[in-house]
Amino acid sequence: MSTAAVLRSEWIKIRTLRGAVWSLLAGFVLTVGFAVATNAAIGDSEADNADFDALHSVFIGLNLGQIAAIAFGTTAMSSEYQGGAIRASLTAVPNRSLFYAAKLTNVAGPALALGLVTTLVSFLGGSAFMGDAAPNLGDGNALRAVVGGAVYLALMALFAAGLTALLRSGVAVLSILIPFILVVSMVLGEASGSLADYLPDRAGQQVLYADPPGDLSPPAGLAVTALWAGAATLAGWWSLRRRDA
Amino acid sequence: MGSIVAAARSGRLPHVGELAPAAGGSAHPSPDRTVDGMTAIDVKDLTKVYAQVRAVDRLTFSVRPGRVTGFLGPNGAGKSTTMRLVLGLDRPTSGTATIGGRPFTRLDEPLRQVGALLDAEAPHGSRTARAHLLALAASNRVPDRRVDEVLEQTGIASVASRRVKTFSLGMRQRLGIAAALLGDPQVLLLDEPSNGLDPEGIIWIRELMRGLAAENRTVLVSSHLMGETASFADHLIVLGKGRLLADTPTKDFIASRVKPRVRVRTTEPARLREVLLRHGHSPVESDEGRMLIDGVAIDTIGPLAAGEGIVLLELAAEEATLEQAYLDLTSGATEFSAPTPQEA
Repeated sequence: MSTAAVLRSEWIKIRTLRGAVWSLLAGFVLTVGFAVATNAAIGDSEADNADFDALHSVFIGLNLGQIAAIAFGTTAMSSEYQGGAIRASLTAVPNRSLFYAAKLTNVAGPALALGLVTTLVSFLGGSAFMGDAAPNLGDGNALRAVVGGAVYLALMALFAAGLTALLRSGVAVLSILIPFILVVSMVLGEASGSLADYLPDRAGQQVLYADPPGDLSPPAGLAVTALWAGAATLAGWWSLRRRDA
Repeated sequence: MGSIVAAARSGRLPHVGELAPAAGGSAHPSPDRTVDGMTAIDVKDLTKVYAQVRAVDRLTFSVRPGRVTGFLGPNGAGKSTTMRLVLGLDRPTSGTATIGGRPFTRLDEPLRQVGALLDAEAPHGSRTARAHLLALAASNRVPDRRVDEVLEQTGIASVASRRVKTFSLGMRQRLGIAAALLGDPQVLLLDEPSNGLDPEGIIWIRELMRGLAAENRTVLVSSHLMGETASFADHLIVLGKGRLLADTPTKDFIASRVKPRVRVRTTEPARLREVLLRHGHSPVESDEGRMLIDGVAIDTIGPLAAGEGIVLLELAAEEATLEQAYLDLTSGATEFSAPTPQEA
């Protein structure tokens, strides 16, 4: 089997899957829109507040963007578990590891690419209203946050895709992850310096701060999120290889 | 070997839609196309146990090229499970299944060697028919031009850019058949292909399968309908409760299991009865003045009556007999059966 051919096949599947394409576009629009609207309202009024992290403020929209990334990863994988799609796919590509790797590549790639555009536009759009308090892209923290934020979105998409392959249901994954991100993590997150710092979303979001609130440094935080994503994708791989399709 | 050549050889007219693939249909011949036996499906001692249910039970059979093999059995007999095992989608509890001597999962670019229709629900509803086929074709480096050819061949070219969720079951079935034909494969496994097709579609799929077999391809077609299958299959493999009940040419199955029976109605029942008895037949009175004669064909009774100058108002072969033979064979092996309704 040609790896390039299987990658191309999975790319055709992703770009012809409406739900997946819409998830990505909605993620961009919501993230940037929320960043611009919030920072336009705040302006530079918070600039003197010692707790105000201007860098994090421009990425406020990623709270929505991460849900779009999760929806994207879930949709891309769950489309194989509707009807007999997985059986048609595996009769074309019986090498399940190759099939799975090509699928994940086509989840991570578009999520990272659109993630970069999203974080960059959020940064530019959000910081436009901050006057002198605006973070500078030439600043190491800012560049790290723009790139790291995109990596974070790609990792969350992979995390969701891996869980979907494990549970073989998009509905199950979304009904676990979205309440988790919206409720559990936000509530626990208030208690910083606890185990909550090691949750996949809290850990990875450290990269979005100039002055991270948690115990983990930004690179360590992303690494923790990567471990979660790695564990989920490995579990999904194990499930796909081991179970009858 | 092009479709038209084969069609001419098998004595049928090619459909308009079948003219298209003749131009490029043989673009990707499998290397072992002409070697007889190389592309047979071989199932040996195959067993699959799900939660203590033996869905497939020590099954052994071969499917040869050059003929249509009907794969029959009641619902739950293990036909679909066997197909999934052959395609490496499910793992057997024991035993082996190979295509051309190799397990399916070890085939390189399998769409070019084996085409399968398993499930009309396979294409995702939000994709167009063309996108579904393009993605499949890309994975096995089948040229995009084949996508348009199989869309033409299966008669869905005009709806190719519509989303699959708007398709009727029959259109989905044609799309599934298009996917199976995509790589111009030497071996085809079709699970209930006529499901959801209209009468015209059923004739089309029948001719398509006959044509594929005439091109020396290996064609395995599952069905739970005996009469329909007997109309196109050269060979029958019958399953019941996961076990092999019969593996025989269709002709032999009919000859050995179907007792012919003739139904007649005449203006002179008494005289016909006397003539029939004189010739060693045993007519039985039926409803509304009809007579049933077992173990004899219409081409015996017709001339006989004519020779005696007896007017026949009705002369027919009883059609249920093939189905009855099949039911008799599988009756002990039906997973779900309703109790016979009591006569009022």
